[in-house]
Amino acid sequence: MSFVTQRPLELILARNLMSALSTPAFLVDEGGVLVFYNEAAGMMLGKRFEELGTVGAAEWGSLFGPFDEGGEPIPYDELPLVSAIRNGRPAHAELVIHSTDGASHEVEVSAFPILTAHGSQGGIAIFWPTETNGNGAHPA
Amino acid sequence: MKVKLWGTRGSIPSPGPETIRYGGNTSCVGVTLADGSLLALDAGSGIRSLGLALGDEPARLHILLTHLHLDHILGLAFFAPVFRPQTEIVIWGPASPEASLRDRIARYISAPLSPVEVRELPCDVSFRSCPETEWEIGSARIRAASVAHRGPTLGYRIDEGDSSLAYIPDHEPALGADLDTLEDDWISGFALAQDASLLIHDGQYTDAEYPAHVGWGHSALSHSLAFARRTGAERTALFHHDPMHSDDFLDGFGAEAKERWAGLGGDPAAIELGMERAEYELSAWAPQAAAPA
Repeated sequence: MSFVTQRPLELILARNLMSALSTPAFLVDEGGVLVFYNEAAGMMLGKRFEELGTVGAAEWGSLFGPFDEGGEPIPYDELPLVSAIRNGRPAHAELVIHSTDGASHEVEVSAFPILTAHGSQGGIAIFWPTETNGNGAHPA
Repeated sequence: MKVKLWGTRGSIPSPGPETIRYGGNTSCVGVTLADGSLLALDAGSGIRSLGLALGDEPARLHILLTHLHLDHILGLAFFAPVFRPQTEIVIWGPASPEASLRDRIARYISAPLSPVEVRELPCDVSFRSCPETEWEIGSARIRAASVAHRGPTLGYRIDEGDSSLAYIPDHEPALGADLDTLEDDWISGFALAQDASLLIHDGQYTDAEYPAHVGWGHSALSHSLAFARRTGAERTALFHHDPMHSDDFLDGFGAEAKERWAGLGGDPAAIELGMERAEYELSAWAPQAAAPA
Protein backbone atom coordinates (compact mmCIF):
# COMPACT_ATOMS: atom_id res chain seq x y z
CA MET A 1 0.00 0.00 0.00
CA SER A 2 1.37 3.42 -0.88
CA PHE A 3 0.39 6.42 1.14
CA VAL A 4 -0.27 9.82 -0.31
CA THR A 5 2.10 12.64 0.48
CA GLN A 6 -0.25 15.39 1.48
CA ARG A 7 0.05 18.88 0.05
CA PRO A 8 0.40 21.53 2.74
CA LEU A 9 -3.01 22.85 3.79
CA GLU A 10 -2.01 26.37 2.80
CA LEU A 11 -1.49 25.25 -0.78
CA ILE A 12 -4.79 23.37 -0.76
CA LEU A 13 -6.67 26.42 0.47
CA ALA A 14 -4.84 28.68 -1.98
CA ARG A 15 -5.80 26.39 -4.86
CA ASN A 16 -9.41 26.32 -3.69
CA LEU A 17 -9.51 30.12 -3.60
CA MET A 18 -7.73 30.51 -6.93
CA SER A 19 -10.19 28.09 -8.53
CA ALA A 20 -12.95 30.55 -7.75
CA LEU A 21 -11.15 33.64 -9.12
CA SER A 22 -11.63 35.15 -12.55
CA THR A 23 -8.17 36.69 -12.30
CA PRO A 24 -5.34 34.57 -13.74
CA ALA A 25 -3.42 33.07 -10.85
CA PHE A 26 -0.50 30.66 -10.53
CA LEU A 27 0.55 28.53 -7.58
CA VAL A 28 4.08 27.29 -6.98
CA ASP A 29 5.19 24.97 -4.16
CA GLU A 30 8.16 25.46 -1.86
CA GLY A 31 10.41 23.67 -4.32
CA GLY A 32 9.49 26.02 -7.13
CA VAL A 33 7.29 23.53 -8.97
CA LEU A 34 4.23 24.98 -10.68
CA VAL A 35 1.47 22.95 -9.05
CA PHE A 36 -1.64 24.75 -10.25
CA TYR A 37 -3.06 27.59 -12.27
CA ASN A 38 -6.69 28.49 -12.59
CA GLU A 39 -9.09 28.58 -15.52
CA ALA A 40 -8.50 32.27 -16.15
CA ALA A 41 -4.78 31.64 -16.40
CA GLY A 42 -5.47 28.73 -18.71
CA MET A 43 -7.50 30.98 -21.00
CA MET A 44 -4.67 33.48 -21.08
CA LEU A 45 -2.04 30.84 -21.82
CA GLY A 46 -4.21 28.90 -24.24
CA LYS A 47 -3.84 25.66 -22.30
CA ARG A 48 -5.75 24.37 -19.28
CA PHE A 49 -3.82 23.20 -16.26
CA GLU A 50 -5.41 19.78 -16.55
CA GLU A 51 -3.83 19.45 -19.98
CA LEU A 52 -0.40 20.47 -18.78
CA GLY A 53 -0.05 19.12 -15.24
CA THR A 54 2.68 20.17 -12.85
CA VAL A 55 5.78 21.76 -14.31
CA GLY A 56 9.20 21.69 -12.70
CA ALA A 57 11.05 24.69 -11.38
CA ALA A 58 12.92 26.62 -14.06
CA GLU A 59 10.72 25.07 -16.73
CA TRP A 60 7.41 26.82 -16.23
CA GLY A 61 8.80 30.28 -16.86
CA SER A 62 9.47 29.39 -20.48
CA LEU A 63 5.87 28.33 -21.01
CA PHE A 64 4.81 31.88 -21.67
CA GLY A 65 7.99 33.83 -22.37
CA PRO A 66 8.10 36.02 -20.50
CA PHE A 67 9.64 39.16 -21.89
CA ASP A 68 10.31 42.61 -20.57
CA GLU A 69 8.85 45.72 -22.13
CA GLY A 70 11.80 45.89 -24.51
CA GLY A 71 11.12 42.37 -25.74
CA GLU A 72 14.08 40.78 -23.97
CA PRO A 73 13.52 37.41 -22.25
CA ILE A 74 13.35 37.70 -18.48
CA PRO A 75 15.63 35.19 -16.75
CA TYR A 76 13.90 32.69 -14.49
CA ASP A 77 15.68 33.99 -11.42
CA GLU A 78 14.24 37.45 -12.01
CA LEU A 79 10.60 36.43 -12.28
CA PRO A 80 8.45 38.02 -9.56
CA LEU A 81 7.23 34.67 -8.24
CA VAL A 82 10.74 33.26 -7.97
CA SER A 83 11.89 36.41 -6.23
CA ALA A 84 8.94 36.33 -3.84
CA ILE A 85 9.63 32.75 -2.77
CA ARG A 86 13.38 33.16 -2.45
CA ASN A 87 13.26 36.44 -0.59
CA GLY A 88 10.11 35.92 1.43
CA ARG A 89 8.88 39.27 0.17
CA PRO A 90 6.22 40.37 -2.30
CA ALA A 91 7.37 41.24 -5.79
CA HIS A 92 5.76 43.11 -8.65
CA ALA A 93 6.63 43.53 -12.31
CA GLU A 94 5.22 44.43 -15.68
CA LEU A 95 5.97 41.94 -18.41
CA VAL A 96 4.77 40.43 -21.66
CA ILE A 97 3.79 36.81 -22.06
CA HIS A 98 2.95 34.72 -25.10
CA SER A 99 0.08 32.31 -25.22
CA THR A 100 0.10 29.10 -27.23
CA ASP A 101 -1.77 30.74 -30.11
CA GLY A 102 1.01 33.26 -30.50
CA ALA A 103 -0.83 36.19 -28.99
CA SER A 104 1.11 38.38 -26.60
CA HIS A 105 -0.30 39.85 -23.43
CA GLU A 106 0.93 42.75 -21.37
CA VAL A 107 0.39 42.00 -17.74
CA GLU A 108 1.24 43.27 -14.33
CA VAL A 109 2.28 40.50 -12.00
CA SER A 110 1.93 40.59 -8.24
CA ALA A 111 3.60 37.71 -6.46
CA PHE A 112 3.82 36.89 -2.79
CA PRO A 113 5.19 34.04 -0.71
CA ILE A 114 3.01 31.73 1.38
CA LEU A 115 4.59 31.93 4.80
CA THR A 116 3.33 29.66 7.58
CA ALA A 117 4.22 28.60 11.10
CA HIS A 118 6.32 25.90 9.44
CA GLY A 119 8.11 28.26 7.06
CA SER A 120 7.59 28.98 3.39
CA GLN A 121 5.18 26.72 1.53
CA GLY A 122 5.49 28.31 -1.89
CA GLY A 123 4.00 31.33 -3.54
CA ILE A 124 1.19 32.79 -5.57
CA ALA A 125 1.35 35.04 -8.61
CA ILE A 126 -1.65 36.95 -9.84
CA PHE A 127 -1.62 38.39 -13.34
CA TRP A 128 -3.41 41.63 -14.09
CA PRO A 129 -3.85 42.20 -17.82
CA THR A 130 -2.99 45.75 -18.77
CA GLU A 131 -4.44 45.74 -22.29
CA THR A 132 -7.65 47.55 -23.07
CA ASN A 133 -8.83 45.70 -26.17
CA GLY A 134 -11.44 43.69 -24.35
CA ASN A 135 -10.04 40.19 -24.53
CA GLY A 136 -6.62 41.03 -23.22
CA ALA A 137 -4.78 39.81 -26.32
CA HIS A 138 -2.34 41.53 -28.65
CA PRO A 139 -1.49 40.21 -32.07
CA ALA A 140 1.87 38.46 -31.90
CA MET B 1 -5.88 -0.05 20.28
CA LYS B 2 -9.07 0.61 22.20
CA VAL B 3 -11.09 3.71 21.49
CA LYS B 4 -13.91 5.19 23.54
CA LEU B 5 -15.98 8.24 22.71
CA TRP B 6 -16.44 10.45 25.76
CA GLY B 7 -17.89 13.44 23.98
CA THR B 8 -19.38 13.55 20.49
CA ARG B 9 -21.16 16.90 20.43
CA GLY B 10 -19.93 19.96 18.58
CA SER B 11 -19.88 23.63 19.45
CA ILE B 12 -21.37 23.60 22.96
CA PRO B 13 -22.36 21.02 25.56
CA SER B 14 -25.95 20.09 24.95
CA PRO B 15 -27.20 18.01 27.87
CA GLY B 16 -30.82 17.11 28.24
CA PRO B 17 -33.37 14.40 27.66
CA GLU B 18 -33.30 15.01 23.90
CA THR B 19 -29.56 14.24 23.60
CA ILE B 20 -29.17 11.45 26.13
CA ARG B 21 -28.34 8.67 23.65
CA TYR B 22 -25.84 10.33 21.32
CA GLY B 23 -24.60 12.48 24.18
CA GLY B 24 -24.31 16.14 25.01
CA ASN B 25 -20.64 16.36 25.93
CA THR B 26 -18.26 18.03 23.52
CA SER B 27 -15.31 16.39 21.77
CA CYS B 28 -13.18 13.91 23.63
CA VAL B 29 -11.99 10.46 22.60
CA GLY B 30 -9.99 8.17 24.86
CA VAL B 31 -7.42 5.88 23.26
CA THR B 32 -5.71 3.06 25.13
CA LEU B 33 -2.71 1.59 23.36
CA ALA B 34 -1.51 -1.98 23.55
CA ASP B 35 1.27 -1.03 25.96
CA GLY B 36 -1.21 0.70 28.26
CA SER B 37 -0.39 4.24 27.19
CA LEU B 38 -3.38 6.55 27.38
CA LEU B 39 -4.23 9.34 24.97
CA ALA B 40 -7.10 11.79 25.09
CA LEU B 41 -8.03 13.32 21.77
CA ASP B 42 -9.35 16.77 22.58
CA ALA B 43 -10.45 18.03 25.95
CA GLY B 44 -14.05 19.03 25.48
CA SER B 45 -16.50 18.52 28.29
CA GLY B 46 -16.34 14.77 27.71
CA ILE B 47 -12.86 14.63 29.22
CA ARG B 48 -14.38 15.21 32.64
CA SER B 49 -16.04 11.79 32.50
CA LEU B 50 -12.83 10.24 31.17
CA GLY B 51 -10.95 11.67 34.15
CA LEU B 52 -13.46 10.24 36.60
CA ALA B 53 -13.25 6.84 34.93
CA LEU B 54 -9.47 6.76 35.26
CA GLY B 55 -9.46 6.77 39.04
CA ASP B 56 -5.91 7.25 40.25
CA GLU B 57 -4.39 5.99 37.03
CA PRO B 58 -2.43 6.49 34.91
CA ALA B 59 0.72 8.23 36.06
CA ARG B 60 1.30 9.68 32.61
CA LEU B 61 -1.01 10.59 29.77
CA HIS B 62 -1.08 12.62 26.60
CA ILE B 63 -3.77 15.02 25.49
CA LEU B 64 -3.79 15.73 21.76
CA LEU B 65 -5.73 18.88 20.94
CA THR B 66 -6.92 19.43 17.40
CA HIS B 67 -7.39 23.15 18.02
CA LEU B 68 -8.23 25.56 20.76
CA HIS B 69 -11.85 26.38 20.12
CA LEU B 70 -13.63 26.31 23.44
CA ASP B 71 -15.63 23.14 22.78
CA HIS B 72 -12.33 21.28 22.45
CA ILE B 73 -10.60 22.55 25.60
CA LEU B 74 -13.31 23.49 28.06
CA GLY B 75 -12.97 20.24 30.00
CA LEU B 76 -9.28 20.75 30.76
CA ALA B 77 -9.85 22.58 34.02
CA PHE B 78 -12.30 19.88 35.12
CA PHE B 79 -10.13 16.87 34.26
CA ALA B 80 -9.37 15.20 37.59
CA PRO B 81 -5.80 14.08 36.73
CA VAL B 82 -4.63 17.69 36.36
CA PHE B 83 -5.20 18.10 40.09
CA ARG B 84 -2.99 15.15 41.05
CA PRO B 85 0.64 16.05 41.70
CA GLN B 86 1.82 12.57 40.80
CA THR B 87 0.36 12.75 37.30
CA GLU B 88 2.41 13.81 34.29
CA ILE B 89 0.38 15.25 31.43
CA VAL B 90 1.72 16.23 28.03
CA ILE B 91 -0.58 18.48 26.03
CA TRP B 92 0.01 18.55 22.28
CA GLY B 93 -1.59 21.03 19.92
CA PRO B 94 -1.19 23.19 16.84
CA ALA B 95 1.63 25.67 16.55
CA SER B 96 0.85 29.32 16.07
CA PRO B 97 3.13 32.25 15.24
CA GLU B 98 1.12 34.36 17.65
CA ALA B 99 1.82 32.69 20.99
CA SER B 100 2.96 29.45 22.55
CA LEU B 101 0.49 26.62 23.08
CA ARG B 102 0.76 27.14 26.83
CA ASP B 103 0.01 30.85 26.59
CA ARG B 104 -2.95 30.29 24.30
CA ILE B 105 -4.47 27.69 26.60
CA ALA B 106 -3.78 29.94 29.57
CA ARG B 107 -6.21 32.46 28.11
CA TYR B 108 -8.92 30.02 29.09
CA ILE B 109 -7.39 28.60 32.28
CA SER B 110 -6.96 32.00 33.92
CA ALA B 111 -9.01 34.72 35.57
CA PRO B 112 -11.69 35.75 35.03
CA LEU B 113 -12.71 32.66 33.04
CA SER B 114 -11.22 30.13 35.43
CA PRO B 115 -10.66 29.96 39.19
CA VAL B 116 -7.24 28.42 38.65
CA GLU B 117 -4.25 29.44 36.57
CA VAL B 118 -2.14 27.08 34.47
CA ARG B 119 0.83 27.65 36.78
CA GLU B 120 -1.29 26.51 39.72
CA LEU B 121 -2.23 23.12 38.27
CA PRO B 122 -0.82 20.51 40.66
CA CYS B 123 0.08 17.97 37.96
CA ASP B 124 3.33 17.97 36.04
CA VAL B 125 2.03 19.49 32.81
CA SER B 126 3.97 20.35 29.70
CA PHE B 127 2.88 21.82 26.37
CA ARG B 128 4.25 20.84 23.01
CA SER B 129 3.48 22.07 19.54
CA CYS B 130 3.01 19.10 17.27
CA PRO B 131 5.98 18.44 15.01
CA GLU B 132 5.59 18.22 11.26
CA THR B 133 7.03 14.74 11.31
CA GLU B 134 5.66 11.54 12.80
CA TRP B 135 6.52 10.84 16.43
CA GLU B 136 5.97 8.04 18.91
CA ILE B 137 3.89 7.81 22.02
CA GLY B 138 4.11 4.45 23.73
CA SER B 139 3.46 1.74 21.19
CA ALA B 140 1.92 4.05 18.61
CA ARG B 141 3.14 6.33 15.89
CA ILE B 142 1.40 9.69 15.81
CA ARG B 143 1.00 12.00 12.86
CA ALA B 144 -0.60 15.43 12.87
CA ALA B 145 -1.46 17.59 9.90
CA SER B 146 -3.25 20.86 9.38
CA VAL B 147 -6.79 20.49 8.08
CA ALA B 148 -9.39 22.87 6.71
CA HIS B 149 -11.20 24.52 9.60
CA ARG B 150 -11.26 27.98 11.09
CA GLY B 151 -7.94 28.87 12.70
CA PRO B 152 -4.92 26.61 13.17
CA THR B 153 -6.42 23.12 13.36
CA LEU B 154 -4.94 19.65 13.23
CA GLY B 155 -6.19 16.22 12.46
CA TYR B 156 -4.45 13.19 13.91
CA ARG B 157 -3.57 9.71 12.80
CA ILE B 158 -2.56 7.06 15.31
CA ASP B 159 -0.98 3.90 13.97
CA GLU B 160 -0.31 0.92 16.15
CA GLY B 161 0.77 -2.26 14.48
CA ASP B 162 -1.48 -2.63 11.47
CA SER B 163 -4.44 -0.75 12.91
CA SER B 164 -5.00 2.96 12.64
CA LEU B 165 -7.30 5.65 13.92
CA ALA B 166 -7.87 8.91 12.09
CA TYR B 167 -9.41 11.72 14.11
CA ILE B 168 -10.61 14.79 12.20
CA PRO B 169 -13.57 16.14 14.19
CA ASP B 170 -13.71 19.66 12.76
CA HIS B 171 -13.21 19.63 9.04
CA GLU B 172 -14.54 21.34 5.94
CA PRO B 173 -12.59 19.66 3.14
CA ALA B 174 -15.15 20.62 0.50
CA LEU B 175 -14.81 24.36 1.01
CA GLY B 176 -14.24 25.61 -2.52
CA ALA B 177 -13.39 22.09 -3.66
CA ASP B 178 -15.04 19.15 -5.35
CA LEU B 179 -14.12 16.05 -3.37
CA ASP B 180 -15.25 13.77 -6.16
CA THR B 181 -12.75 15.09 -8.68
CA LEU B 182 -9.78 16.46 -6.74
CA GLU B 183 -6.55 14.49 -6.77
CA ASP B 184 -5.90 12.66 -3.48
CA ASP B 185 -2.98 14.82 -2.41
CA TRP B 186 -5.07 17.99 -2.81
CA ILE B 187 -7.79 16.87 -0.39
CA SER B 188 -7.41 18.27 3.10
CA GLY B 189 -6.78 15.49 5.62
CA PHE B 190 -6.51 12.75 3.01
CA ALA B 191 -3.19 11.32 4.15
CA LEU B 192 -4.39 11.16 7.75
CA ALA B 193 -7.45 9.14 6.88
CA GLN B 194 -6.15 7.00 4.04
CA ASP B 195 -7.17 3.37 4.65
CA ALA B 196 -7.67 3.98 8.37
CA SER B 197 -9.25 1.24 10.44
CA LEU B 198 -11.53 3.84 11.99
CA LEU B 199 -12.14 7.38 10.79
CA ILE B 200 -13.79 9.73 13.27
CA HIS B 201 -14.91 12.65 11.14
CA ASP B 202 -16.93 15.81 11.25
CA GLY B 203 -20.59 15.15 10.50
CA GLN B 204 -22.15 18.32 11.79
CA TYR B 205 -24.57 19.37 9.08
CA THR B 206 -27.19 17.95 6.80
CA ASP B 207 -26.90 18.90 3.16
CA ALA B 208 -29.85 21.24 3.64
CA GLU B 209 -28.21 22.98 6.60
CA TYR B 210 -24.79 23.42 5.01
CA PRO B 211 -25.49 26.33 2.63
CA ALA B 212 -26.20 28.57 5.62
CA HIS B 213 -22.90 27.52 7.20
CA VAL B 214 -20.39 27.59 4.35
CA GLY B 215 -16.98 28.50 5.72
CA TRP B 216 -17.83 27.68 9.31
CA GLY B 217 -15.35 24.83 9.20
CA HIS B 218 -17.66 21.82 9.18
CA SER B 219 -18.95 19.24 6.75
CA ALA B 220 -22.28 18.45 5.22
CA LEU B 221 -23.22 14.78 5.09
CA SER B 222 -22.34 14.64 1.39
CA HIS B 223 -18.84 15.88 2.17
CA SER B 224 -18.34 13.42 5.02
CA LEU B 225 -19.43 10.53 2.83
CA ALA B 226 -17.30 11.68 -0.10
CA PHE B 227 -14.27 12.08 2.17
CA ALA B 228 -14.79 8.62 3.68
CA ARG B 229 -15.19 7.08 0.25
CA ARG B 230 -12.15 8.77 -1.21
CA THR B 231 -9.89 7.91 1.73
CA GLY B 232 -11.00 4.28 1.89
CA ALA B 233 -11.43 4.11 5.66
CA GLU B 234 -12.67 0.74 6.83
CA ARG B 235 -15.20 2.24 9.22
CA THR B 236 -16.39 5.79 9.76
CA ALA B 237 -17.99 7.39 12.80
CA LEU B 238 -19.60 10.75 12.13
CA PHE B 239 -18.86 13.09 15.00
CA HIS B 240 -19.21 16.63 16.30
CA HIS B 241 -22.99 16.52 16.17
CA ASP B 242 -24.70 19.85 15.87
CA PRO B 243 -26.16 20.96 19.22
CA MET B 244 -29.52 21.44 17.51
CA HIS B 245 -29.67 17.79 16.49
CA SER B 246 -31.71 15.73 18.94
CA ASP B 247 -31.44 11.98 19.32
CA ASP B 248 -34.53 11.48 17.20
CA PHE B 249 -33.12 13.74 14.51
CA LEU B 250 -29.78 11.92 14.60
CA ASP B 251 -31.51 8.56 14.25
CA GLY B 252 -32.87 9.75 10.94
CA PHE B 253 -29.57 11.36 9.98
CA GLY B 254 -27.73 8.11 10.66
CA ALA B 255 -30.22 6.12 8.65
CA GLU B 256 -29.78 8.52 5.75
CA ALA B 257 -26.01 8.21 6.01
CA LYS B 258 -26.20 4.42 5.84
CA GLU B 259 -28.63 4.50 2.93
CA ARG B 260 -26.49 6.92 0.96
CA TRP B 261 -23.34 4.99 1.79
CA ALA B 262 -24.98 1.84 0.48
CA GLY B 263 -25.96 3.80 -2.62
CA LEU B 264 -22.27 4.53 -3.13
CA GLY B 265 -21.56 0.82 -2.99
CA GLY B 266 -20.38 0.72 0.62
CA ASP B 267 -21.34 -1.52 3.50
CA PRO B 268 -23.99 0.26 5.61
CA ALA B 269 -22.45 -1.27 8.73
CA ALA B 270 -19.24 0.62 8.01
CA ILE B 271 -20.73 4.03 8.70
CA GLU B 272 -22.42 5.20 11.85
CA LEU B 273 -22.95 8.18 14.07
CA GLY B 274 -20.58 8.51 17.00
CA MET B 275 -22.38 7.87 20.24
CA GLU B 276 -21.12 8.95 23.65
CA ARG B 277 -19.52 6.00 25.51
CA ALA B 278 -19.31 3.92 22.33
CA GLU B 279 -16.25 1.70 22.29
CA TYR B 280 -14.18 0.32 19.43
CA GLU B 281 -11.37 -2.18 19.40
CA LEU B 282 -9.25 -1.71 16.33
CA SER B 283 -7.44 -4.56 14.73
CA ALA B 284 -5.55 -5.04 11.54
CA TRP B 285 -7.53 -5.13 8.35
CA ALA B 286 -6.80 -5.41 4.66
CA PRO B 287 -8.00 -2.39 2.67
CA GLN B 288 -10.09 -3.10 -0.40
CA ALA B 289 -8.46 -2.64 -3.75
CA ALA B 290 -10.98 0.02 -4.65
CA ALA B 291 -13.30 2.14 -2.56
CA PRO B 292 -16.99 2.16 -3.45
CA ALA B 293 -17.64 4.39 -6.42
